[in-house]
Amino acid sequence: METAQNSVPARSGSELRNAGQSWGQLGDATQVEGRVQNFHLARLVSGHLAPALTDFPIGVTGTLRLRPGLSLTMLSRVVLSAAATAAPSLKNAAFLGPGVLQATRTFHTGQPHLAPVPPLPEYGGKVRYGLIPEEFFQFLYPKTGVTGPYVLGTGLILYALSKEIYVISAETFTALSVLGVMVYGIKKYGPFVADFADKLNEQKLAQLEEAKQASIQHIQNAIDMEKSQQALVQKRHYLFDVQRNNIAMALEVTYRERLYRVYKEVKNRLDYHISVQNMMRRKEQEHMINWVEKHVVQSISTQQEKETIAKCIADLKLLAKKAQAQPVM
Amino acid sequence: MNENLFASFIAPTILGLPAAVLIILLPPLLIPTSKYLINNRLIATQQWLIQLTSKQMMTMHNAKGRTWSLMLMSLIIFIATTNLLGLLPHSFTPTTQLSMNLAMAIPLWAGAVTSGFRSKTKNALAHLLPQGTPTPLIPMLVIIETISLLIQPMALAVRLTANITAGHLLMHLIGSATLAMSTTNLPSALIIFTVLILLTMLEIAVALIQAYVFTLLVSLYLHENT
Repeated sequence: METAQNSVPARSGSELRNAGQSWGQLGDATQVEGRVQNFHLARLVSGHLAPALTDFPIGVTGTLRLRPGLSLTMLSRVVLSAAATAAPSLKNAAFLGPGVLQATRTFHTGQPHLAPVPPLPEYGGKVRYGLIPEEFFQFLYPKTGVTGPYVLGTGLILYALSKEIYVISAETFTALSVLGVMVYGIKKYGPFVADFADKLNEQKLAQLEEAKQASIQHIQNAIDMEKSQQALVQKRHYLFDVQRNNIAMALEVTYRERLYRVYKEVKNRLDYHISVQNMMRRKEQEHMINWVEKHVVQSISTQQEKETIAKCIADLKLLAKKAQAQPVM
Repeated sequence: MNENLFASFIAPTILGLPAAVLIILLPPLLIPTSKYLINNRLIATQQWLIQLTSKQMMTMHNAKGRTWSLMLMSLIIFIATTNLLGLLPHSFTPTTQLSMNLAMAIPLWAGAVTSGFRSKTKNALAHLLPQGTPTPLIPMLVIIETISLLIQPMALAVRLTANITAGHLLMHLIGSATLAMSTTNLPSALIIFTVLILLTMLEIAVALIQAYVFTLLVSLYLHENT
């Protein structure tokens, strides 16, 4: 009976680890038939181990009745891992783990050890000189007062020395030096190491706290962003108004531009007609003047020309005489 | 005198039963485990030390070498605590016994070398010949390297034994010198006592260093063979 219990947990750590790695291969869809076979094989194996653990020999399909106080959880898993190492085809039996756990829950008759756990004391008991608890001093105080334990200690030490119960040998000096170095080290670096350990713990707590705070901050940021987005949505109509105004202005500008263009084109055409008219008038005038001049010149005969020239000469002589007479005055 | 000098190295027995087993089982009691995240100062400092050491020691290995991390870490912790506890007066240090150190060194070395020969035979055999040796020297050098390979476990065990034993012997001798001088010439006894104090500090360092060296060499053999 003992051999079966001892042989199963004697697997090496690496084999158990290998079997444990196969626990991760859940949901292997390609081996459905193998699963059914594995399940029956596992039941067979645990069925054969069962008589070792119970008082009554049973068949494979019977229910197991345990001796009170035994729990089969770890053992069945160890059985499975042993079966996995024994038969390589069982390596993909990882899916069986949770199933076996649920199936063996009927065997959990004992109390679970994890809860309720009594709270740990925060500090250890107080000691004097690093060895003797305070309670000893308190115990002797009513009868012997404050110096009682010290006198007792001194007496014991002197008794041991004088009766050579404790022999002063080479070891004494070695002890003195070792204990001296230890006490010196503890006194000098004790608080430093204590603070260091406290700092380590605080760092761990601070990390977790920071993770929590980061998560809270992240959510708070998301809330704030959501609120600001909602506020922005309320103010969207300003944007639309501005856009509307812009478009109206652009339309107005385009309309006016086109209007001006039309005006210019019309004026252009009218100016053309006017300038054509002016040019015709001028041409006609010039032509008429030229025609009149030409005919007047043609109509002046030679006789008239001579008479006119002689008249002009006579007038000139008269004027000359008048001019001579005038400056005397 | 002779009997007294080596008396501290006799494996202690209680009524004929070996107490060395109990003595070897003591150090794990001083390293508590804890299932809490925030622990007391002792556990916190120990966990920090172990984490520091394991990180420093196992970074140079590949995945296959790192499967040895539990073994190597427990090795260094065991040797360090045993050595340090052996410095207390009237205590017994298991690592002074050659038998125990051989029992630690041979399986570890053999495991590393055998796994190296099994998985990477060519590489393991190539370690037997250093690079760049002139051709006429090769046969002799192979023999020399083989001998140096086979002597590694012996060297590991004897190194640890000799260092710790020599340290304890020196402390004992200087202590007895102090004792002898204390009755005749007190000032020189004080001088010798100062030497003893310095030696104690050295011994503490040696205790830790030897643990480190042992584990480092085993991890080196492992690194070559994975």
